[in-house]
Amino acid sequence: MRRTVTGLRAWLLQRATAVYMLVFLIFFLLHFILDRPRSYAAWHGWMSAPGVSIAACVFFAALLLHAWVGVRDVFMDYVRPAALRVCALALLFLGLSATAAWVLRIFLVRSG
Amino acid sequence: MKLSISRYNPERDEKPYMQDYEIAPGPQDRMLLDVILRLKAQDDSLTIRKSCREGVCGSDAININGRNGLACITKIADLKEPVVLRPLPSFPIIRDLVVDMTGFFKQYHSIKPYLINDDPAPERERLQSPAQRELLNGSYECILCACCTSQCPSFWWNPDKFVGPAGLLQAHRFIVDSRDQARQERLDDLNDAYRLFRCRTIMNCTEVCPKGLAPSRAIEQIRLLMVTDFL
Amino acid sequence: MEKRRPVFFNLLQIQLPVGALTSITHRITGLLLALGIPMSVYLLDQSLQGPQSYAQITSLLDHWSMRGAAILFAWALAHHALAGVRHLLSDIDIGTQLPAARRSAWIVNLGGVALALVAAGAWL
Repeated sequence: MRRTVTGLRAWLLQRATAVYMLVFLIFFLLHFILDRPRSYAAWHGWMSAPGVSIAACVFFAALLLHAWVGVRDVFMDYVRPAALRVCALALLFLGLSATAAWVLRIFLVRSG
Repeated sequence: MKLSISRYNPERDEKPYMQDYEIAPGPQDRMLLDVILRLKAQDDSLTIRKSCREGVCGSDAININGRNGLACITKIADLKEPVVLRPLPSFPIIRDLVVDMTGFFKQYHSIKPYLINDDPAPERERLQSPAQRELLNGSYECILCACCTSQCPSFWWNPDKFVGPAGLLQAHRFIVDSRDQARQERLDDLNDAYRLFRCRTIMNCTEVCPKGLAPSRAIEQIRLLMVTDFL
Repeated sequence: MEKRRPVFFNLLQIQLPVGALTSITHRITGLLLALGIPMSVYLLDQSLQGPQSYAQITSLLDHWSMRGAAILFAWALAHHALAGVRHLLSDIDIGTQLPAARRSAWIVNLGGVALALVAAGAWL
């Protein structure tokens, strides 16, 4: 397992996704503080704007990858028996993949 | 002064227990080790490792009021009473305040703590500029007392797979040594999910280092080197 | 025959420096946020479905339990993000020496609570 650069890659991914999410969050919060949508039409309209929906999609991709690295770290620290850890990681992977599919559905179907 | 010290005799005791002591420090006593040795005159079964009594050998590393430190350079004036002395956390206790350091040294040896240079030895020494020598400052001074590693939560959870702050600090010492030729191999060796990357930069190591070193910073430096190599 | 040696490992008796508190809270808030992802995605989904479900969601969020959860979530996000920024800075060697590290740990711990109070003020 040693030569597969898992340590550095996971760490870089965690940092890169964190930076993107920070920037997105700041923009998102600023928009909500300065110009919050006050109706369904405003909310839906804003989220459907190509820039926003793409940035939001990328945000969720970043979020799920970041959560994967983070929760995996927690399992690696506390779940010592290897078989149990593999099961936990598999469940985590499934949960995050399902969430990814759900988010894709939202952005492709709802805000079209 | 009042102390409460962890006692354990494997031949007699099921598990460690705390024993209370009360003693008047001598007129010249300044450091905790002075008081412990004075206690030994009262109760010579009390066992602790000690040697240089000046903070350079690392033998008397123990947990003092919850925080690891060297007994010989810990001033008694700075200690809240009752002073609670315990052995280093998470290391197997051999007796009283003496712990088994085997796991700690195993991790240290695993990073190859020696210069790797296959060039034939020069007539005098392998030269190094003052600037190159400065890079070793902050890493070479480690006395391997294990205060850092036994206070590191990541080491507690994975002592057999995570190298730990002391080992990684020494890895850093050799990685940045201009005379060493195995930099890439050293970096590759640390680049898996456990050996270095269990470090979460909790910084307990830097908090407790009795020599004022910063293993967490050395670990960050190694990571940066890995990143610049990767990109 | 060797019996296993005991260890000293009572977490209640081992000191928790301020940076360690920041760190364990960073982990706990991360887990809380991760657990909150499905709910957040559900709310997002419902809010974009149509005007009726949007109205349902906004009135749901008005309920005191949801507001409480939102403030808790805001604290978790604030602490996790601030601690994350502290990590990113130490990655580029800013604040890696002990005094600066302790200061930044305090700022993160208190800042997270402060931001949560701001959120509470805005939402209550």
